[in-house]
Amino acid sequence: MNKHKHINFTLFKVYFLTSLFTFSGGLAMLKVIKQSLVDKHELLSEEDFYNYAGLSQSFPGVIAVTNACFVGKKVGGNSGMFIAAFAAILPAFIFMLIATILYYLLPQEGPIYSALNAVRAVSSGFILSAGIQMAKLNLTKFVYIMLAVGSFILIVLGFLNSLQLILIAIIIAIFITWMNRGNRHAS
Amino acid sequence: MLLNLFFMFLKIGFLGFGGGYAMLSLIYSESLSLGLTQNQFADMNVLDFLIPGPIAINSATYVGYILSYQTYGYMLMAILGATIATLTVTIPSFIYAPVFLKYETNINKNKYLNEILACVKGAAVGLIIAVSFNIFIEAIFHISSLKDLTNFKVNYAYLGLAMIAFLLHEKFKINPILLTIGAFIIGYILYYL
Repeated sequence: MNKHKHINFTLFKVYFLTSLFTFSGGLAMLKVIKQSLVDKHELLSEEDFYNYAGLSQSFPGVIAVTNACFVGKKVGGNSGMFIAAFAAILPAFIFMLIATILYYLLPQEGPIYSALNAVRAVSSGFILSAGIQMAKLNLTKFVYIMLAVGSFILIVLGFLNSLQLILIAIIIAIFITWMNRGNRHAS
Repeated sequence: MLLNLFFMFLKIGFLGFGGGYAMLSLIYSESLSLGLTQNQFADMNVLDFLIPGPIAINSATYVGYILSYQTYGYMLMAILGATIATLTVTIPSFIYAPVFLKYETNINKNKYLNEILACVKGAAVGLIIAVSFNIFIEAIFHISSLKDLTNFKVNYAYLGLAMIAFLLHEKFKINPILLTIGAFIIGYILYYL
């Protein structure tokens, strides 16, 4: 019983702190979580952790929270799952809520408007950076490049929205896999 | 609106393959259709860079708050909306993890799922660059899409600022938080020039 409480406390601490100190993106969080849970606290094996890390990236959803659910459930059962996930959500939620409330109080005129517009212009560059990084990692085949270029053109011209384009990508993926299934049998 | 938020983030959660940035374009198109303005979305991106934590969580909190506040006009309802949006976007996680731990199937070897992930990530590259493009033309040319191309005016100060910041970030790995604060100060001063 005492051990169980201890595990839950560790889970909470690790996920709370990593969520608190990592900016921009769940992938960066996974490395930090691995260091504390596997190397320091030895709550689960490295193999298990990487297995769950891979799984949490394969499923749709928030990667860090899915990872918290996998690890929490494995190490501490249902209570562990909810505690780890809650700990991963809480700091992001609280800080973003405070930031949003403060932002909403800003007057959207005069020098503040000018400053916000400058920040917006600059932030579009950061998103472009993230897009370029994703492109380097993921555009490994001709099909993926076509999907990227096609999605960009269709959305900028306003023909389709993101939801429709993601559904199309899913359908193309299923079609490709289905086609390749025959090839594998033949070889 | 609370119900709209719930269904919107449920959709985003279940279709959000490939993490935060891949989800961002979904959040963009869905929240704009519920009444978020393009400028408000651009400001969300700025806050995402400034505030720690997963991008999808940050974005859900922001969109939930703003849209509920605009609908109901009370801060309490807005906080409720932010809470609902944030919890909803995490629902898929609570479903997949227990189900797959129970059956211990090796989903990593599932060819369909891996191909879906790869294709959606491919499309997401185009989608995220499109989001960046839309924010860029709104901030610099003051048009919200390519459709109203006729009445655009270029703001060269912002254009220069954006290009310098992009170069500093890409080439010299300068922290986005520092660049954001810098841009805010310069933008503030530009008003008086």
